[in-house]
Amino acid sequence: MEMDRESGKLEQIVSQFRSKILHVVLDSRVPSLHRHQQHDSLSLSRVRKTDKWFNLVLGDRPPALENLNFSLRNLLDPMVIDIILVRHASCSSSVDNLYSPSAAAAGPSTETVIERWVVQYDCPRGFASPSGADASVSYKKIYKKCILLLRSLYTQMRLLPAYRIFRQLSSLNQTYNFDIVYKVSSFSHPFSREEEDGMKEYSFSPVEALPGCLCVSVTYHATLSDFDLEPLVSLPPKIITDYVGSPTTDPMRSFPSSERGAHATSFPFRGLRPPTSAPFQRPHSWSSGFHRGIPPTKTQSLAGSPPVYRTSPKPYDITSPPTDLYGNRIQNHRVSTLQQATAYDEYKLSPPFSPSASPSTPTYLSGANPLLTRHCSETAPVTIPLPPTGRSNRYLSPNSSDPSRHSLPPLSPRSSKHDTSSQESPSGIRSYRKIEALRAGESPSGLSNLYSAPKVVRDSKDDSGRFSGLLSSSGSPRIGFSRSSSRLSFQDDMDDCEFSCPFDVDDVDVSDSSSQNTENKRASEFTAQSNLVGKKSQDAAVGILVHMLRTAPPLRQDSSCYSTRSLRAEYEGGVGIASGFFMPRKTADALEELNSYREMKDLLLSKSGTQVVRKEGMK
Amino acid sequence: MNCEVCQLKELEVEHFEIREVLRCILHTIVFHRALGLVRPKDVDLELFEITYVQCGDVELEKKIDEKIDQFISWVEKHPNKKSQICLSFYEVKSKQPSWFTNKTERLYWEQWYVNLNVTQQPKQHSSKSHHTKVVVDPGESANEERSSRRAMVEASLREVLFQIIKFVNEKKDHVPPISEGVIYFPYEITMPSSSDSAFGMDMIKRMLHSGHPTMLS
Repeated sequence: MEMDRESGKLEQIVSQFRSKILHVVLDSRVPSLHRHQQHDSLSLSRVRKTDKWFNLVLGDRPPALENLNFSLRNLLDPMVIDIILVRHASCSSSVDNLYSPSAAAAGPSTETVIERWVVQYDCPRGFASPSGADASVSYKKIYKKCILLLRSLYTQMRLLPAYRIFRQLSSLNQTYNFDIVYKVSSFSHPFSREEEDGMKEYSFSPVEALPGCLCVSVTYHATLSDFDLEPLVSLPPKIITDYVGSPTTDPMRSFPSSERGAHATSFPFRGLRPPTSAPFQRPHSWSSGFHRGIPPTKTQSLAGSPPVYRTSPKPYDITSPPTDLYGNRIQNHRVSTLQQATAYDEYKLSPPFSPSASPSTPTYLSGANPLLTRHCSETAPVTIPLPPTGRSNRYLSPNSSDPSRHSLPPLSPRSSKHDTSSQESPSGIRSYRKIEALRAGESPSGLSNLYSAPKVVRDSKDDSGRFSGLLSSSGSPRIGFSRSSSRLSFQDDMDDCEFSCPFDVDDVDVSDSSSQNTENKRASEFTAQSNLVGKKSQDAAVGILVHMLRTAPPLRQDSSCYSTRSLRAEYEGGVGIASGFFMPRKTADALEELNSYREMKDLLLSKSGTQVVRKEGMK
Repeated sequence: MNCEVCQLKELEVEHFEIREVLRCILHTIVFHRALGLVRPKDVDLELFEITYVQCGDVELEKKIDEKIDQFISWVEKHPNKKSQICLSFYEVKSKQPSWFTNKTERLYWEQWYVNLNVTQQPKQHSSKSHHTKVVVDPGESANEERSSRRAMVEASLREVLFQIIKFVNEKKDHVPPISEGVIYFPYEITMPSSSDSAFGMDMIKRMLHSGHPTMLS
């Protein structure tokens, strides 16, 4: 009885030894065995019965292992573990691989045995157990040596070349044109001469397990660089033709619905459109915030990634490990052997097991980070459509210094582009207004135009002259500013959009106001306009005031420039600038200017409900 | 009992590589001598494409790191010197107390010598320097030199790890039996102290305890 128990011990050691080796090998070579594994701290910390064998905690054995153990019951037969590299044929387009992941596996593939592990209990006389008192000591020694062998085997698994591609396959962020499968059998086809080239062999020191000995050896490819192992392109480039930009870069822009196309909405027409019910065809990184009324779609909720490249959500979290020298290799310390318990057994196995052609996907799990098969976290590059040339041309207009132009002078000495723009009537005026609107869009406060006044030197004279002219005339700059601001605010009234710009203007308004160029209407106009000023464009008015202050010309006598500006001012629409404006600068002018400033101030304050607008005689 | 000695292949490393290299080698050795129930932990080196295995014991990791820190301090004081770290495994045996000996003695049954040649840090050709961006050629050649040097160190480190595996496989009989509840055998890490002579004395003491001359292979 005791002898039976002793012989049983040896068999048990040999059997468990083979299972343990198989577990170590598959755990370090076949990523798909880690798929569908769920970790939790309890499972990781739990020491299973199988873990205690040879004092090496590896975690749950894959069910396939149990099947294999059953099939390889004859412990005297060798256990041959082939690690097979399956290289998929390169497709003409990597896009095909992406959109049909199984295409890569379905196509012709090349299989190469990159490692062959052979575990054998070499016992010519069968399991003849040792007898006597030394048996126990013998088993302990055998067991200890098996532990040592397994330690060194475990270490060596990580030093052989195949480990590197195993880690690549296990990575989260990349898919490759190859896969690793395994085959376990009790016999092995010898390598051809061709296959043997480039392969090395290492044999672990046999463990004496009397009457026989346990032998473990490995034949492996010394280098895998000869194989064309490449990552598949995760995201083919996709040109997004309807890119409309982000509100953070241009908050004043409206975002047309998808049916309208990608062209920007110009403010004079509509400002921001009310949100439509039509869903956007493509998500944007900013989709969650700006588009009111449009329910965020699934695609939109995936910020930063086009929906077509997203994989279906898995029941576990998606996290990406940090990268390191291995590329996508997991950097953190990981307990690699405690993540087993998969039910995946679809791999190719030698007979009597059923072959499987299922593609293996990177399923290596590390810690609590299971992998997705095709996890793409990148966004496709986008192209930003150039603004239509027609529109850009609209902003190119004759020089504002041309007195024959029935156009508004530039509001501020901005860049040369704007100075040369929008001097036509009414289209020129419209385009000018668009400039104003556009520039207002650049700054929510609407003051960008005015603050850029110091930039352009060459127009400073014009601008200052215009403004000074306005100030010095009965058509005071206050009026001028208020007019311009009122023009803008006029549009504000007409604009029903929720989001509007202080510089929104309308063609109609401009054309109407352009007809008012008599001095007699100035006062009434001023009143009307003053009403309009306070409604929505206090910001604009303040901006205008500031600009005026900045561009206020010094006291000087230079009448030539004022004549031109006065003519222009007549066509500003509604600003009655008296012909008497054409006078050299004197103290009186300065006083008038001061008065105009005061009036402006009062106007603003009155509109804010703090002061009654005082009307003073304008001359 | 024989004291098996393994002189590992000398590695030429730079100062900043010492920690990683020593961690890799020492933990690999200890993993092969931690024959109790262990939960192996794979660790990827940052400087090299090598993964080594730790036995997962936190205390052990801490002690090894402390020893490595001491070694680095010593290296900083003795630059450009060949240095050696000795990892010894021993058994504690009680013996009759006498005038010169304690009640217990250590019987060293295995010693590993990690030989390092810490080279002086080369002149800064760091790519981070703005100057290298201006002059392309010297920067590129420095990078190539650095990467080839790094590859050499990595290959040497792999050789050392294979050497450890080979040694562990070939010599198993001298390993003491595994005690119940003990994860790893008692060990000791010694390194050159401030004076080399003291280090030599430690070696002699060890030889006297083990009762056998040091076997240099």
